[in-house]
Amino acid sequence: MTFFGHFEIWLSAFLVLSLFSFLYKDNPFYKMAEHIFAGLSAGYYVGLIWQAVIIQQLVNPMFDQGHWWLVFPGILGALMFARFFSKWSWISRISLAFVIGNTAGVFLISQLHGFVLPQVVSTMISLNPAQGFAATLSALVIVIGVISTLIYFYFSKEHTGILGGTAKVGIWFIMISFGAHFGYTVMGRISLLIGQVQFLLFDWGGSIKQIF
Amino acid sequence: MNFWEKVSGMDRRWIYLLVAISVIFPMLVVIKFPVQITPEARQLFDAVESLPDSSVIFLTFDYYPSTLAETEPMSVAALNQMFRKNMKVVTMTTVPLGGPSIAERVTRKLAEKYGKVYGVDYVNLGYKANYVAVLKGMGSSIEAIYPADNTGTMLKDLPLMQKVKNYNDVKFIYVVADNGIIDYWISIVNAQYGTPVGAGVTAVMAPKMYSFVEAKQLTGLLGGMKGAAEYERLVNHEGNAIRGMDAQSMAHLLIIFLVVIGNIGFFATRKLRRGAQG
Repeated sequence: MTFFGHFEIWLSAFLVLSLFSFLYKDNPFYKMAEHIFAGLSAGYYVGLIWQAVIIQQLVNPMFDQGHWWLVFPGILGALMFARFFSKWSWISRISLAFVIGNTAGVFLISQLHGFVLPQVVSTMISLNPAQGFAATLSALVIVIGVISTLIYFYFSKEHTGILGGTAKVGIWFIMISFGAHFGYTVMGRISLLIGQVQFLLFDWGGSIKQIF
Repeated sequence: MNFWEKVSGMDRRWIYLLVAISVIFPMLVVIKFPVQITPEARQLFDAVESLPDSSVIFLTFDYYPSTLAETEPMSVAALNQMFRKNMKVVTMTTVPLGGPSIAERVTRKLAEKYGKVYGVDYVNLGYKANYVAVLKGMGSSIEAIYPADNTGTMLKDLPLMQKVKNYNDVKFIYVVADNGIIDYWISIVNAQYGTPVGAGVTAVMAPKMYSFVEAKQLTGLLGGMKGAAEYERLVNHEGNAIRGMDAQSMAHLLIIFLVVIGNIGFFATRKLRRGAQG
């Protein structure tokens, strides 16, 4: 491994350990690593957007390919900076209005067509026992789960009698769902720890072994 | 102070230490807990496997470096399968921080292993801002959204991209994501253009995704490091996910033990607390 390769690993290991040190207590090493991350991320993001959007999608097409009409979205983008000047900040609302209108139009279709309708259709399932015990049971759980959970979120009538009983079943489904989410979250967080421990043990450990 | 009171008042740093030991120990002493394949992982594998050789496939790197432990093994395993099947792979990312460089590093490494040529067998489109506009726009023209690839080469100069103009030319989209972008791959690309989408996501996101698999909006699903380990097993590539599963299982056993102990401690000390309150 080259000197730069070793340096990269040691620097990463130092920053990882600095961040882990917070588990013991807050300290200057943790603060330093946190600030480096925030600063680097911001700088990298600005550079990337400049190259990928401003240069590749605005400047190059306008001057190299003659796509002169891109000057209009370019002006709309530039107007956003008017927010920095209190006297002229109202101008930025023109760009914002365009963004909001455009986003609402795109999302209206995508939410309805992509989420609401397919999800509703997927709960309209057959409960016919002829499809087999496991499939019927699974379908029954989905139907009962959806109906009881929806009833739990129906607040226009007091949850008493049949409505209250069904809402209680809904709470059980919600709790089981929370349990699944929590279990998966624990798994996710442990996975991230495993990734860093693998790096420290094998990458950094390998570098230490090679050097000493 | 009895034993349960001591347990209830234990400094949380002892728990951190126990978790660290439970993760480090299995990495030094290999145990090899079994990895069972779930139907969702099998479905994703079969969906890719059933595509004809040389099919064009999209592989996204929609994740930040912070979740590499879960997501990178998915990308590596998927690329092993795709290159082994001689598929034409187009990679891209909607994540600015890390996404472009991770895609570049992983695809180059795997391409070298399988002797694939850049521009002919695979292309890395890189990053483009505003993911909703990107996903929607690629339905009409990929070149309009990505005039150049990650290294600045114009798309018209890349032989592979002569055949790939929009989603109609893509047989399957394999999304590896650690954020809400997967919702848009489903609601914009799958719902509006009909291109099949399969996903590998972080464990935190996985429970929500099962409803999309059930509704056939997703063709297969990998959830977290466990999902990545399943895919590694399916493609016969033992990577970081399988190696990490022993530590994952040990940590889970420890957490179950701590939850049980914590609850026993809570109920055992409840009487004492009530007594103290009067």
